[in-house]
Amino acid sequence: MEEMMCYIPKTLEEALEIKSRHDVIVLAGGSDLMVSNKRTLGLAPKFDKPVMIVRNLPELRGIYINEEGECCIGAGCTSAQIAESTLCPWHLRQAASRMGAVALRNSATIAGNIANASPKGDTPGPLYMLDARVKLSSVSGSREILVSDFIVKFRTIDLRPDEMITEVIVPLSEDDFDYVFWHKVGTRKANAISKITLSQAIKFNADGTVKDYRVAATATGAKTNRSRDVESIIIGKRLSPELIEDVIKGFDDVISPRAMPEFRREATRRMIRRFLNVADTHPEGKVIDTYDGYYVVGQPEPRVL
Amino acid sequence: MECKEYKIEFTLNGKPVSIATNPLRRLIDVLRDDFGCLGVKEGCSEGECGACSILMNGRVVTPCLIPVGAANGQDIMTIEGIKETEKGSIIVQAFADGGAVQCGFCIPGMVIAAYYLLSRNPNPTEDEIRLGISGNICRCTGYDLIVESIKLAAKRGGEIWKR
Repeated sequence: MEEMMCYIPKTLEEALEIKSRHDVIVLAGGSDLMVSNKRTLGLAPKFDKPVMIVRNLPELRGIYINEEGECCIGAGCTSAQIAESTLCPWHLRQAASRMGAVALRNSATIAGNIANASPKGDTPGPLYMLDARVKLSSVSGSREILVSDFIVKFRTIDLRPDEMITEVIVPLSEDDFDYVFWHKVGTRKANAISKITLSQAIKFNADGTVKDYRVAATATGAKTNRSRDVESIIIGKRLSPELIEDVIKGFDDVISPRAMPEFRREATRRMIRRFLNVADTHPEGKVIDTYDGYYVVGQPEPRVL
Repeated sequence: MECKEYKIEFTLNGKPVSIATNPLRRLIDVLRDDFGCLGVKEGCSEGECGACSILMNGRVVTPCLIPVGAANGQDIMTIEGIKETEKGSIIVQAFADGGAVQCGFCIPGMVIAAYYLLSRNPNPTEDEIRLGISGNICRCTGYDLIVESIKLAAKRGGEIWKR
């Protein structure tokens, strides 16, 4: 019987070498791939291509700030690592801290969450909003593209067969904004797949006009939603109830929720309205959210063990 | 097409072990079928129920999601090893004394979750305990006596949890 190979490289160099010569599935945490390829109890999961296991590559596990002040997260960093790291941007830490439950967060990786290209993935929302890039490496070099371009559409990514995601680079953090918002609507506190997750951030000019505003929504369409056109409606202007309604209307036209569309649309509208209304009063503190009373204005730490 | 066999080596409950097998086999199957660790329970098979929880390099993980090839060279502790440790035995005793156990299926995972929680946070609040076991599903107890037993283990262990 013909048998399939499996690769367990010890270094990143070895992994890229294997990727240059063989068409392999890269498996890191396993939390998506081991489930989608599982068979009945006791049988090994079956993949249609050879697998390369990169879970323990030390080169992919670091988090650091580069010379440009950007947060660089190794592709193999787990959700737990990200939630615990004070180097990581607030929105991303929130999303990572509410992904699955304790044990899953110790396995699931950021690159896996991106490459899975699910519209319900927890990290793409913050990553879209903060203009994050993925670093794609191969034996012939590397390139960087925006996460929002890398995820082409549902379950489709812009990755050459010889390339691997090696790093996620996040240029912005909560420090670049006056107020931040992150809210996951799920059916439970743990093990919840997002019904909608909204990430928002705003910065004002000294004269009270809006300098920067961003909003990204998860699970409201075939892909994570963000629209610079909608965001620009209020940029350079002073917030007013009419302008806030224009943003809400504009974003409502961007999203295309399939299941329970009216619930998802209404929840999205309310979260945008709440954030912009509260931000417009310029309260003390930075975080605007009241999720179960856990996060109050001014206390931006995610809950980690 | 099935995958080729490779030699996989790791540390299991403090002892080095090795096995020649398909590296894509789930770690849960290898632990149960090849190494007899029957305390590693299979519930949901997709990382949601926490019944199969183990420690890998000191972090709680669910081996139903991990191919055994990813355990190569790593340090694995199952309930069989944890219960023999000083910290583990404190939790096991507290669960027994506190009436935390009904059918018992979720308990190995609960003990591992409690061990992980108390090792990182020796003096957790009730809220933190509930967060610590939030990935472990129990269909009998309603969780309250498990939470109380973890409080008991925290109290009984005292300084031991800070080591």
